[in-house]
Amino acid sequence: MRRQASIRDQLEADAWRNHPNFSRRFKRITNFTGRKSLNWRDRALLIITAVLLLLLIVRVETSRADDSGGAFWGLEFQGAAGSGRAVALDTDIRVEVTGLTARINVIQAFQNSGREWEEAVYRYPLPEGSAVDRMQLHVGQRVLEGEIREKEEARRQYQQARSSGKVASLVEQERINQFQTRLANIEPGEEIRVSISFLARVDYRDGSFGLSIPMTFTPRWEGGGSAAESLESAGFANAQSPLIMPLSDIDDHRLSIEVDLQTGMSLSSIESRYHDVDIHPSLQGYRIFLADPDTRSDRVFELNWTPEFGSEPVSTLSTFDGGDAVYAMLLLAPPLAELIAPQPREVVFIIDTSGSMEGTSLVQAKAALLLGLEFLGQDDHFNLIRFSSGSRALFTESMPAYPSYLEEAADFIADLSASGGTVMAPALGMAMNLPEQPGLLRQIVFVTDGSVGNEHELLLKIGEDLRDSRLFTISIGSAPNTWFMRKSAEIGRGSHLHIGRLAEVEERISRLWARIENPAIQNICVDWGMDAEFYPEVVPDLYAGEPLWLFARLPREPLQVSICGELEGRYWEMESRQIPGQGNSDLATLWARSKIDALEDSRIFGQDPEAVRHDILTLALEFGVLTQYTSLVAIDRTPSRPDGAALNRAEIASLLPAGSGLASGFSQTATGWPAQLILAFLALLTATGMLLYLPSSRVRPAGGARSPMTSSLP
Amino acid sequence: MKNPCHGPYAAVALTAALFSVLLMVNSLWIPLKAELAQRLIERSWSETAAGDAASQPWPWADTRPAAVLSVPAHGIRQFVLEGNSPRNLAFGPTFADGTTNGRDMIISGHRDTHFSFLASLRAGDLIGIQTRQSKQWFEVSDMEVVDSRRRVLLIEPGLQRVSLVTCYPFDSPTSGGPLRYVVTAIPLKRRSPSSG
Repeated sequence: MRRQASIRDQLEADAWRNHPNFSRRFKRITNFTGRKSLNWRDRALLIITAVLLLLLIVRVETSRADDSGGAFWGLEFQGAAGSGRAVALDTDIRVEVTGLTARINVIQAFQNSGREWEEAVYRYPLPEGSAVDRMQLHVGQRVLEGEIREKEEARRQYQQARSSGKVASLVEQERINQFQTRLANIEPGEEIRVSISFLARVDYRDGSFGLSIPMTFTPRWEGGGSAAESLESAGFANAQSPLIMPLSDIDDHRLSIEVDLQTGMSLSSIESRYHDVDIHPSLQGYRIFLADPDTRSDRVFELNWTPEFGSEPVSTLSTFDGGDAVYAMLLLAPPLAELIAPQPREVVFIIDTSGSMEGTSLVQAKAALLLGLEFLGQDDHFNLIRFSSGSRALFTESMPAYPSYLEEAADFIADLSASGGTVMAPALGMAMNLPEQPGLLRQIVFVTDGSVGNEHELLLKIGEDLRDSRLFTISIGSAPNTWFMRKSAEIGRGSHLHIGRLAEVEERISRLWARIENPAIQNICVDWGMDAEFYPEVVPDLYAGEPLWLFARLPREPLQVSICGELEGRYWEMESRQIPGQGNSDLATLWARSKIDALEDSRIFGQDPEAVRHDILTLALEFGVLTQYTSLVAIDRTPSRPDGAALNRAEIASLLPAGSGLASGFSQTATGWPAQLILAFLALLTATGMLLYLPSSRVRPAGGARSPMTSSLP
Repeated sequence: MKNPCHGPYAAVALTAALFSVLLMVNSLWIPLKAELAQRLIERSWSETAAGDAASQPWPWADTRPAAVLSVPAHGIRQFVLEGNSPRNLAFGPTFADGTTNGRDMIISGHRDTHFSFLASLRAGDLIGIQTRQSKQWFEVSDMEVVDSRRRVLLIEPGLQRVSLVTCYPFDSPTSGGPLRYVVTAIPLKRRSPSSG
C-alpha cells in the first residue's frame, strides 16, 4: 500500500511538472475517487494517453507547417564553399574607389596539393552592371595577360592549350552577373594566381554611398542572376563532372579585402555592414581592411560611406579623352527633398496573390501596402488591384485618399490570401487603362515575387501602354526574377526595390514611399553642347535621394553640360560642375558597358538578335569587355604538363545566391504520411483500449458495453 | 448512478479517437492527392498538346507540367511540374529551378508517394523525359546516398543528364531526414529504348 502511494505521488509530481492543467484534472479525479483509490495502472495509462495526444497535436502542427511553403526550398546552399579536393583557393580582393567608380581586383590563388595535373573550374558572382575587362595569370615568375576574344574562338584556344599541356585560363560570362573561370594544367604542388579585374559603379541612395561585392557565397536576399538571364553555356559537355560537390574544408578558403577609398569628399561615417573592418586614414582618403584575418568568403561585403552634411553630391561631370572621342560620366544629383512640396498624384497598387506568394511573401506584401496607404496625402487618389489567375480592382476608378476609402482599402488588404496562378498582364493592363485623373501623375506600384515566364511579352506591353504613368516594382521573397522587375521599372521610368527579409520591409518601403511622395524632375533632357551618344537613352525621372548616372561618348571635351526638365509642371534647369582630372580610361569601359546593356535591351523590343550580337561583339572587342559573346583567355606559350600525364578535372564549389541556378539544394522529399498513419492507428488503439478498459468496470453506465477485458479487472 | 470519474476519462478517450480519425484522413489524403493531381495534370497536358494553351490542371493551379517522366521497366509515367515548392511536390515530381531547359535536369519527388519507385531502379534502367518539344532517353548510370547538410547539387548547363532525387532511407516513416537518394542517368547512346 505504501508503495502504491509513493508511485501515485511520483506520478502526480510528474504530471504537475509537465502539464498544470492536466494535473488539476488529475487531482480532481483522485479526490472523487478518494475512497475507492484508482488503480495505478489506470493513472499510468491516463498519463500515457495525454502525452500521446500532445505528441499528436505537435505532429499535426508540424505537418501543417511543412505544407504551407513558408520555409525555403529549392535552390539553396547549406554552407560555405570548399574544395575537398586537391585544389585549394584563397581570395584576395583589392578595391580602389575613385569618386564614383570602383575598380575591383579579385585575386584567387590555386594550390594544387594533389599528385595529378589538375584543371580547375570555379564561378564568381558580379555586382550588377559591372564590366569585366582584365585578367592576369601568374605562373611562377611569369605574368600572362588575358585577352578578349570572341567566345567560341577563346574556347577553342583554351581547349587547344589544355590538350597540349600549357597553362591556360579562360573567363566566360555565364549569366548577366556571373562569370566562370577555367584553369588548365596546374602542376602538382604548384601555385597559380588568377587576377580578374572589373569596374563597378558606386551606388548612392538616401544620402549614403555604397559598394557591395558579392562573395562566393552570398546571402540569398542580395539577389543575383535569375532564370530569365540564363544564357547558353554549352560546349564543355566532354567530362563526367561530379554532380555533387562536398561542402567542407572551409579553412582552405581565406579571404582578405583591402579598400582604397578616395571619395574627394569629407565623410561623416564609414560602415561595413557584414564584416569587421579596420579603417586607416590615408593621404587622399581612407584605407579599409578586414579586421579578422580568418574571414571566410561566405557573405557579401558591403561598405557604405556617408558624406558630411553640406557635401552631398552635386551634379558633376568627369571626362576622359580617349583620342578619337571623349568619354564622360555625368552624375545628376536631385534637388534636396526639403525644397520641393509634394504634388498630388494617383497611386495604383498592384499586388500578386498567386499561390507562390503564400507565406512570408504575402505577409511582407501586405505590410508594404498598409504602409503605402499611410504615405498617401490628402489630395492623392489611389486604387488597389489584386491578381492571381484573374485580377480584381478595389475601385473601378481611383478614389481620393479619404479615411472611408482608406478603411475600405485596409479591409481589402487584410482579406488578401494567396492561391491561384500568376497572370500579370491583365492586372497591369487594368492599371494602365484606368480612367485618367486630370492633373495627377499616375504611379503604379507593382508588388510581386516575380516568378513569371513571359517576360518579354510583358515588357513590351509595359513599353507600349504605360504612356505617362510611372512604374515602380517591389520584389519580395527569396528568389524573385529581379532582372524582369528592374527592367520593367527602368522602362516605366520608376525604380525597383527588392526586399528579402521581413525585418527590412518597414525601413526600406518607407524610404521608397517617401521618395516617390515627392515630385520628381520629369522629362529630363541633357544638353551636352554637341552631338552625344549617351546611355541610358531614356533618362529616368530624378527623385529626391536617388541620383542618376549617364555615360556619354562625345566628339570633343565638353565645357559644361546643362540639364533641363520639368518640376511640378514648371521648367527646371541646372548646370553640372566639372571635376577636373577625375576621369580615366575606365570611363570608356563603363560607357561601352552601358551601351552593351542598351543593345541587349533592344533585343526585347524586337531587334534582330543576329544584328545585336554583331554590334555587341564589335563593341566588346574594341573596348575589351567580357560579354555573353566574348571571353577572356590567357595562355602560357610553353607547355608545362609533360606528354602522357593525365589531366584531372576538379571543381571548386563556389556557392551562389539562391536563384542563380548553378547549384541546387535539396527539397524536403518525404511527406511522412506513413508515420502519421501509424500514429493515427496508435491513437485509435489507445482510445479503444481506454473505452473498453475503464472506468465502466466499477460503475457501468447504462447501456455501456462490457468486454472480456474489463471483466478481468479488479 | 453516475461515476464521477467517467466524464473526464471518456472525454480523453474520445478526443484520442477523434484525433486518430483526423490524423488518418490527413495522412491518407496525401497519397490520394498525389494520385488525383497526376490525373488532373494528365488531362491538362493533353489539352495543352491539343492547342488549348490556357489549360490549367485545376482552376487555381499555380504550376504547370513541364515534362513526362517515364520508366518503362517499372510502369511509371508521371508528370513533372515546374517550381520546386513543397506545394508542387505534393502534386508530382518537380524540376529544380533553372533545370527545366532540357539539359542538366534535376527532378525531386516524394519518397513515399511519386518517387517510391526509385528504390527499385537499377543501373541500366531506362528513363524517358518527354518535354513539349522532344523526347529523350536516359540510362541510369549511378545511384548514391548523400547527406544534404554537406553537399549541394551542381548544375552544369553544358551537360546532358537527369538526376532523380528523393529522401532516404526509403522505409523511414517520418519526414525531415537529412539523407537523399540521388539517381543519375546519362543520355542513351545509339540504342533504341525497346532494346533496353
